[in-house]
Amino acid sequence: MSMSATKKVLVISGLAGLAMLPHLWPNPYYVHLMVVIGIYAILLLGLDFVVGYVGEVSLGHAALFGVGAYTAGVLNFQLGAPFVLTVPAAIAVSAVFGLILALPALRVNGPYLAMVTLAFGTIVQILINEMTFLTNGPMGITMDKPSFFGHRLNSGEYYYIVMALLVLTIVVVHRILKSYLGRAFEALRDSPVASDCMAVSVYRYKVYAFVISAALAGLAGSLFVYSEEYISPDTYSFHLTIQFLLALIMGGRKTRSGPILGAIIIVMLPNVLADIGLFRQIALGLAAFAVVYSAYGLARKRLSPRQVAIPLAFTVGLSVFSHRISDITDYRLTIFGLLILFVVYYLPDGIMGFLRSLVQQVRPQWVRRHEWILDKGDAEHVWAPPDHAVTVKGNLLEARGLVMQFGGLRALDMVDLHVAKGSVHGLIGPNGSGKSTMMNVLTGIYRPTAGEIEFNGKIISACTPSDIAGEGIARTFQNVQLFGELTAIENVLVGLHHTYRSSLLDLMLHTRRSRREEHEARMRAASLLKFVGLAELANEEAKNLPYGKQRLLEIARALALNPSLLLLDEPAAGLTAPDIKELVGMIQKIRGHGITVILIEHHMDVVMGISDTVSVLDFGQKIAEGKPAEVQSDQKVIEAYLGGGAEQQPA
Amino acid sequence: MLAIKELYAGYGMVQVLHGISIEVPQGKVVTLIGSNGAGKTTTMRAVSGMIKPSAGRIVLAGRDITGKPSHKIAKAGLAHSPEGRRVFPTLSVTDNLRLGAYPRLTLGRPRGDVDGDLDKVFDLFPRLRERRDQLAGTLSGGEQQMLAMGRAIMLNPEVLLLDEPSMGLAPLLVEEVFRIIRALKERGVTMLLVEQFAAAALNVADYGYVLENGSIRCHGPAEKLKNDPAVRAAYLGQAH
Amino acid sequence: MDVLSQLLGSGVAVGMIYAVIAFGYQLTFATSRTLNFGQGEALMLGALVGLSLVGHMNYWLMLPIVMLFGAVQGAVVERVAVRPAIKSKSEFGWIMATIALGIIFKNVAENIWGHDQLPFPSPVSQTPFTVLGVHMVPMQVMVIGGALLMMLAVELFNRRSIYGKAFVATASDLDAAGLMGINTNLVITFSYALSSMTAAFAGVLVAPITLAGAEMGAVLGLKAFAVAIIGGLNSGVGVIVGGLILGIAETTTAYYISTGYKDVPGLVLLLLVLAVKPAGLFGKTVIKKV
Repeated sequence: MSMSATKKVLVISGLAGLAMLPHLWPNPYYVHLMVVIGIYAILLLGLDFVVGYVGEVSLGHAALFGVGAYTAGVLNFQLGAPFVLTVPAAIAVSAVFGLILALPALRVNGPYLAMVTLAFGTIVQILINEMTFLTNGPMGITMDKPSFFGHRLNSGEYYYIVMALLVLTIVVVHRILKSYLGRAFEALRDSPVASDCMAVSVYRYKVYAFVISAALAGLAGSLFVYSEEYISPDTYSFHLTIQFLLALIMGGRKTRSGPILGAIIIVMLPNVLADIGLFRQIALGLAAFAVVYSAYGLARKRLSPRQVAIPLAFTVGLSVFSHRISDITDYRLTIFGLLILFVVYYLPDGIMGFLRSLVQQVRPQWVRRHEWILDKGDAEHVWAPPDHAVTVKGNLLEARGLVMQFGGLRALDMVDLHVAKGSVHGLIGPNGSGKSTMMNVLTGIYRPTAGEIEFNGKIISACTPSDIAGEGIARTFQNVQLFGELTAIENVLVGLHHTYRSSLLDLMLHTRRSRREEHEARMRAASLLKFVGLAELANEEAKNLPYGKQRLLEIARALALNPSLLLLDEPAAGLTAPDIKELVGMIQKIRGHGITVILIEHHMDVVMGISDTVSVLDFGQKIAEGKPAEVQSDQKVIEAYLGGGAEQQPA
Repeated sequence: MLAIKELYAGYGMVQVLHGISIEVPQGKVVTLIGSNGAGKTTTMRAVSGMIKPSAGRIVLAGRDITGKPSHKIAKAGLAHSPEGRRVFPTLSVTDNLRLGAYPRLTLGRPRGDVDGDLDKVFDLFPRLRERRDQLAGTLSGGEQQMLAMGRAIMLNPEVLLLDEPSMGLAPLLVEEVFRIIRALKERGVTMLLVEQFAAAALNVADYGYVLENGSIRCHGPAEKLKNDPAVRAAYLGQAH
Repeated sequence: MDVLSQLLGSGVAVGMIYAVIAFGYQLTFATSRTLNFGQGEALMLGALVGLSLVGHMNYWLMLPIVMLFGAVQGAVVERVAVRPAIKSKSEFGWIMATIALGIIFKNVAENIWGHDQLPFPSPVSQTPFTVLGVHMVPMQVMVIGGALLMMLAVELFNRRSIYGKAFVATASDLDAAGLMGINTNLVITFSYALSSMTAAFAGVLVAPITLAGAEMGAVLGLKAFAVAIIGGLNSGVGVIVGGLILGIAETTTAYYISTGYKDVPGLVLLLLVLAVKPAGLFGKTVIKKV
């Protein structure tokens, strides 16, 4: 994990540059702008947790920013509390509001959540306006720069405080996001179902993301009060929220540089828009860039005329428009809206993402979207004992009288399933017979309408998927549910999430414990990848793997959970004959290490070849159970499989 | 009538079909068999425009329909009764069937005798006539399957795609479905049939293709495939 | 008692406005699982365009023109902001893009009609009267009647015509509707046109009561969303009941507590419903298949 020499030089010169800036550019107006940029950058780094990593749209961050600002402002205004108290208080209060905001997020996502955050923002603004006794209402609160030991800071000195906190924020945020927590956030965005089944509770980590994000908004808010020396409710409006979102997506999500660049852009934008001459130049510059880039793209056949037509028309149109109007301020919001449209459709990865793809075309080896994990695995690190030892004697899993009703459809109808410890239990049946429903009931994704499931001596039929996973049931999915934007090895590392014990503080301070855990997990992950034959593809993004490999990766990820029971849902679908042979060997090895397996499979030779017991479902009912040979000769089974009138078939 | 040439298709980055070619001659029933995940449903979807093929050509009655949106393909005369039935649960049985004839509408006026065809469908599926005003969502699984097939027939299609018409049906109803497929065949309807009950499908079909991992493993007259021991072992649910 | 009955009257009227905008949300959500975050701006544009027209023509002639304008505006929103995002399956995309268009519409409106709240002439008399012990202003009756009529008209279209059935089919199963030869893209555009048309219509209805201005849409749009959620995004009765609950809660809050707080109950209700029963009071909970 040591920094390379060039990186060190870059970081040190960056810090030195940051320290020198106010001296190079001593104009107080510019110093103030830089302070605001720093403050916005802190907020955007936090917003990235929710928007970039968890993948939700928050329209409530201006309100959280406002909560921080008002907490600091009110404490200072009403009680005269000092900076060292008001700032932590602002962080804490905003974090609590973030928690409140996250509660509906437990139930809803996407557009619903966006609207919820918008409603939250509106409520906060109303409250700030109306609770005059506390907030001084629309009059606002006036206050001074912080003082330390009787010395009131001037704006130049305050600059250093903000920048120090910004650097600290960057370091802390970076460490959190590069840790198992960051992977958990990305995992729940890519596949909530699979996250839950990897014992990464979607609910819990969504709440974490919101709380961290809100805490940073609170920090930014409190710094903002001291910088502006005045706060009033209308600052923390819907438009500010939109500015934050625009800044983040324009700068680039899931990067540290993106939020900083975004902050610079939105702070400078009003200044640019205030100066019509400058705006005209910039519009012209953009148009020129668009023309050159399109021409290049067309010439190299990377872009089609259709693709370049709209952005070209837009930038040229903007340039013409800028010369037609005399005052731009009235059209500020229109330009804003156009920018959002432009970014959403043409720069979805932001400017940083765009630059990265540009560099990638020229120097592919310079750009890595993911950290390269080069740990080498070995055979002995593949296996680890389950977190909960198997204590039960006899059957590991007992399902009794399971019923699953979907409206008028009874997908499972009084099914009993007894899975012997250490066995491979095949589950077969025609399409739509209820096999996958069974898997989903066993792993807690559906709660059964009736019946109970006992696993390792515990009733689990009322538990959440992540609790069931924690008990030691791992699974793969019929429709592959990988974390597409994570690499293969990162997918397995999410499966190893349960092995981490480091606290948030450990991660922030990068303690020995956190480093050791990460190292051990990587070793394990590499070993598991080797076991399923994906060692070479460790640093490929999961979504780019071929279908068959994706299925194998799911098995590695499931094994990372150290399960005592492994559910495989059609693992052979899409595999070629030699691959199937390897899969069979793998399943045998898995059983050899004491892991019980439930296997749903359509390849009869696979199921019949390795299962100790086979259960047959048809119409949600179990119609047969027994040794493979018995089941195969069962008249009911033959009928179910061959469909209408087995008697019509030639023998 | 329908010709699929060197078709490649898949979902996102996942390539499912690797260059398959299938011919469905006029008035014949062709079946596509293979294990789960082999690409049967993907083939159907690519043909009817539910997904865009990445390469290859699909020709329906001499017209190239490759990559066209599904409503245009339906207008060109291809009906697809999809896997899982997909009837419109909040509409009545009659409304579902009338929507089946939607592609025959131009500016609100139907081409041909839609009411007469509706009667013919009801003759074929007497159960549906009994339940003509019931909401489709309240039908049983078997009735919904008949509705899905009836809806597809309402188009008077050049080619009818049937995807897993027996899925989730009780054996008695499965027989009923195959009886109907036979009846349609006798009327001269050209069909491409995907079935998990390979034996039953081969019994009704004239010709069969065996799909494996997105490629055609073998094809031939249904009679011949039925007696091919390898086919039987892998797809008819019997061990070697 | 007198006060209460007046509150009830205006609460019902306001509630019906929310219901009709919420109904618009339902239309687009049904066909494409997307919402126009600029729905409030569609309403605002309807009101302001209506205001400009009503000076030159008869009120009843203005109504259909405003509705036509609303329909075109909705179609533009769909083509510019929603369709590309649906194609690239980007939820973030359509949310941000509809917000962006909303901002642009609002800014343009500010530049055309200014920042002030403008009075909107009422087509009916201003003298209050009493129905069943409830004091009503004729405009309120018109709002209630107009809103109900609008929703009824769309419902009838859906139930009676083959194109309405195609609309319902698209809403219940996009892919299957495509297989029936229904141009589902066109249906989605149409749903946006219908949705914005109802919003523009609601704008004209509400403007005599609330005044018309560039700012009028934002909060209305948000509260109508609350109504859509409270009632359930797939329940027609739900939006009417939700609208009434919210409308009455709001007018009573404004009277008994403070006008400053009048937007709070609706938004709190929204948060509560989403936290407890996200499908809404009348919506059906659907188990997501994996």
